[in-house]
Amino acid sequence: MKGLLSAGGQFLLKTKLFWGLAVLYGAGIILSPINRKGVNIFLEAGNQSDVLRQVANNGIIAVGMTLVILTGGIDLSVGAMMSLGCMLCAMLLTLQGWTAASSASIPILAVVAVFLCSYLVPMIVVSVRHGSAKTAQRSGWATRLFGLILGLFVAGLLVWWTTGQLKTKFGVLAVLVTVPAVGLAIGCLTGLIIAKGKLQPFIVTLAMMVAVVGLARLLGGETAAVYPVYTGSNATESFEILRTLMFRVIPVPGIFFLVAVVTFGFILRYTAFGRYIYAIGGNEQAARLAGIRVDQVKTAVYAISGMLATLAGVLFTSQYRQGKPDAGAGGELDAIAAVVIGGTNLMGGKGSMTGTFVGVLIFGFLTNILLLKNINSNIQFVLKGAIILGAVLLQEGQIGLWWKRLRARTKKLGVAETVKNEEQKQPAG
Amino acid sequence: MSPPDSISQLPGRLALEMRQISKSFGPTEVLRRVDFELRSGEIHALMGENGAGKTTLMKIAAGLVEEFEGQILVDGELVNLTSPRDAARAGIAMIQQELSLVHELEVDENIFLGQERLRSLFLVDRRRQIETAREVLKSLDFRGKVQVPVSQLRIGEQQLVEIAKALVAKARILIMDEATSALSINETERLFQVIRRLAGEGVAIVYISHRMEEIQAIADTVTVLRDGRHIGTVAGKGATRREIIRMMVGREIQEMLAEDKGTTKAAQPILEVRDLSLEHPSPTPNRPMLIQDVSFSVGAGEVLGLGGLLGAGRTEVLQVLSGLHPGTSDGDISIQGRAVQILGPVEAKALGVALVTEDRKRDGLILGAGIDRNIGLPVMERLTRFGVVLPGKEKALAESMMKKLNIHARDPEQPTGSLSGGNQQKVVVGKCLVTEPRVLLLDEPTRGIDVGAKAEIYRLIRELAGQGLAIVLASSELPELMLLSDRILVLREGRPTALIGRSEFSQEVILEYASPGGAIQPEFAKSEVTA
Repeated sequence: MKGLLSAGGQFLLKTKLFWGLAVLYGAGIILSPINRKGVNIFLEAGNQSDVLRQVANNGIIAVGMTLVILTGGIDLSVGAMMSLGCMLCAMLLTLQGWTAASSASIPILAVVAVFLCSYLVPMIVVSVRHGSAKTAQRSGWATRLFGLILGLFVAGLLVWWTTGQLKTKFGVLAVLVTVPAVGLAIGCLTGLIIAKGKLQPFIVTLAMMVAVVGLARLLGGETAAVYPVYTGSNATESFEILRTLMFRVIPVPGIFFLVAVVTFGFILRYTAFGRYIYAIGGNEQAARLAGIRVDQVKTAVYAISGMLATLAGVLFTSQYRQGKPDAGAGGELDAIAAVVIGGTNLMGGKGSMTGTFVGVLIFGFLTNILLLKNINSNIQFVLKGAIILGAVLLQEGQIGLWWKRLRARTKKLGVAETVKNEEQKQPAG
Repeated sequence: MSPPDSISQLPGRLALEMRQISKSFGPTEVLRRVDFELRSGEIHALMGENGAGKTTLMKIAAGLVEEFEGQILVDGELVNLTSPRDAARAGIAMIQQELSLVHELEVDENIFLGQERLRSLFLVDRRRQIETAREVLKSLDFRGKVQVPVSQLRIGEQQLVEIAKALVAKARILIMDEATSALSINETERLFQVIRRLAGEGVAIVYISHRMEEIQAIADTVTVLRDGRHIGTVAGKGATRREIIRMMVGREIQEMLAEDKGTTKAAQPILEVRDLSLEHPSPTPNRPMLIQDVSFSVGAGEVLGLGGLLGAGRTEVLQVLSGLHPGTSDGDISIQGRAVQILGPVEAKALGVALVTEDRKRDGLILGAGIDRNIGLPVMERLTRFGVVLPGKEKALAESMMKKLNIHARDPEQPTGSLSGGNQQKVVVGKCLVTEPRVLLLDEPTRGIDVGAKAEIYRLIRELAGQGLAIVLASSELPELMLLSDRILVLREGRPTALIGRSEFSQEVILEYASPGGAIQPEFAKSEVTA
């Protein structure tokens, strides 16, 4: 019986995050206003789909942030990267010819293509040829040359395709390829500086944040701070697809979010790369000594984080029909909050993508409930802050410990008193 | 009537009394109704295999464990020890096996941490602190610098800083957990003098150790724990080695691997090293390089021992061979006759060189991750296809290693942080073996692990040598070095001074070559002159 209870307790403890979400969801149902038809507004399909759309941007950034934090790092530049992505996207969609945006991003796209192919292709070739070989096989020069040539070919193709679109302005696919490539490149740079320079991620990404905000503003030029995006008039009609609902309920940005969660959740859980991320966060020196290329893994997580942040920028442009250089302002903090609520340890090595997913939803539903209740937005901030603190305290198991300690202290003092009394009695007796 | 102060000076007075102490971590019972008595002026050895509960019992006395059952009396007064602060107030100080110094702070700041000497209300009197620190450290025969961050000190020196910290706090009960596990023989002897002096001054000392010869050298009383229970308390002088081991293990066991293994006839050399050197980060006139002119070769199935005092450069030799100092190291290395360059752990792994590091918690293990994750880490490419981990392969590998190395754990997923020291060490060895190395570098492979686990590691080292691995073993424990090595290369301040064959092994000979100012074999003397 006791074993059963403790097993049940273990289960509750392990799934406490889901219970938190369930409680919040229940609160949402109870607190929700009911409309004239007697329908619970919170439960309405429209509202639920709204929540998914609203959390999508923060969620996508949080996915990248999870990888970074698991290695023991942090990425403060994601908000700025989102702004940059948003500006780039809006400019590529609405301006023809070689503008600041296109002349910056097309070469970067080419470089990224060459780099990715010449890096990944040999890896894949080795994997195919040797399968689960006994030892790591270094790729031969022929394979590497093949990767390089393939990369150059792909880069050429991409440049030909994107420059072809310059006359007619970028289409949705071109934007979705180009903008994240820029994010990947900048994130890669950030990661390289952190890994090779052996610098604190906090400082490096802080510097990057400042610099990238500047870049986003610079791109826009001095005259036009905000670029309105009207699909069908000043931008391609096809961009509208990012605003639509699939099957009438699932917003497209939400799909991007879900795909990101599933993809990177899988990578974290089932791939060698994922293992390395956890290992580096758990004990970087041990990982290094195990012959893991720590610098490469670190660089990769910042590159992924940058890529996802700029992707969120593209989705922002579609939702708000504009590109503005402060689109992602403060986004890094929301993402970090969601990751931390999800139980990922800021020291690295512990946490999961599932946790982040639930953390993002908790954050989203909370905002939604407060909105539905029409609560003063300043109070909303205070409440959110309190929720973050509460969630973290719960995650770290501190509250339980405080309680136990309090009980132990009172109990022991009681014992101490009785013993003292007895000892005082003894000499007398 | 004598004042109360002088009463506490009387020997034999009960300083610490622990009654019926019980403690569980979750479902595991670590201590069960243990009684422990400590008298002032007494050196009390606390012994037992790893996991016997020695450290936990003493952590309770030091206020480091919040929840437990039982009572603690200090000087006959019932006390409530639930924080290190409570313990400090009761005059109890514990020097833990994993030292608890703040690495960035300087020596005196560490010594006075939490007990700063103040000039006025807030200002720290650094000058007085440094003076006092120097004085106390001098009495401990400390030879390092005082005005440097402790991270720049070697482990042995850091240990002395910890002791100084306790002395400054005027602790009347001093608990030392595996105090000598990082010390060379000279330092151990010095430490013993300090301990005896302190005991003479009325300090009660609890000395936790695995080293039998130390216990016999120093302990007045020996208490043995086994599986969380108090087995017995005997007088230190009267206790025989056999008796204590029987109490610890619960049965008569053979003296571990006492039989001579004989010399291995070295086959073809696997690892050849010539003129290995490593730059000193802050060179001094008498120590321009961390290591210099180190040359040796190790054959298949041979164990080469690296002897020397703390700081002689044993660890550094192994580190250079693992590629941990690219750029600052130099020398010619060849493996199986092929000249190689080892620029990092990645290359070392590819070349079949594996290192078991000195500090398993800091460099060896991911403590939060399971045995399977740790063991699988170096060979992920073998366990994956297209980067995706093949289901079950990691676990199967871990299970086979657990079986091979006799690692005791609930299951392969148990976090390595919750294993005993001996089992942790076996996981580290397992992590190296999965890479199927040709050269195995072992740095203090039995540091801080119990007798039983030690014997297993010894057996394992011999077995691996028998399988044809070339092994380089660095150890500060001379009996261990002499037991396992075929030849011993002695280092002194970064330079080799002697290469001793198995037939000439003796503690005296090794120490002679290891000590500064001691003898040098002629073939090594030349290099000293030229440098």
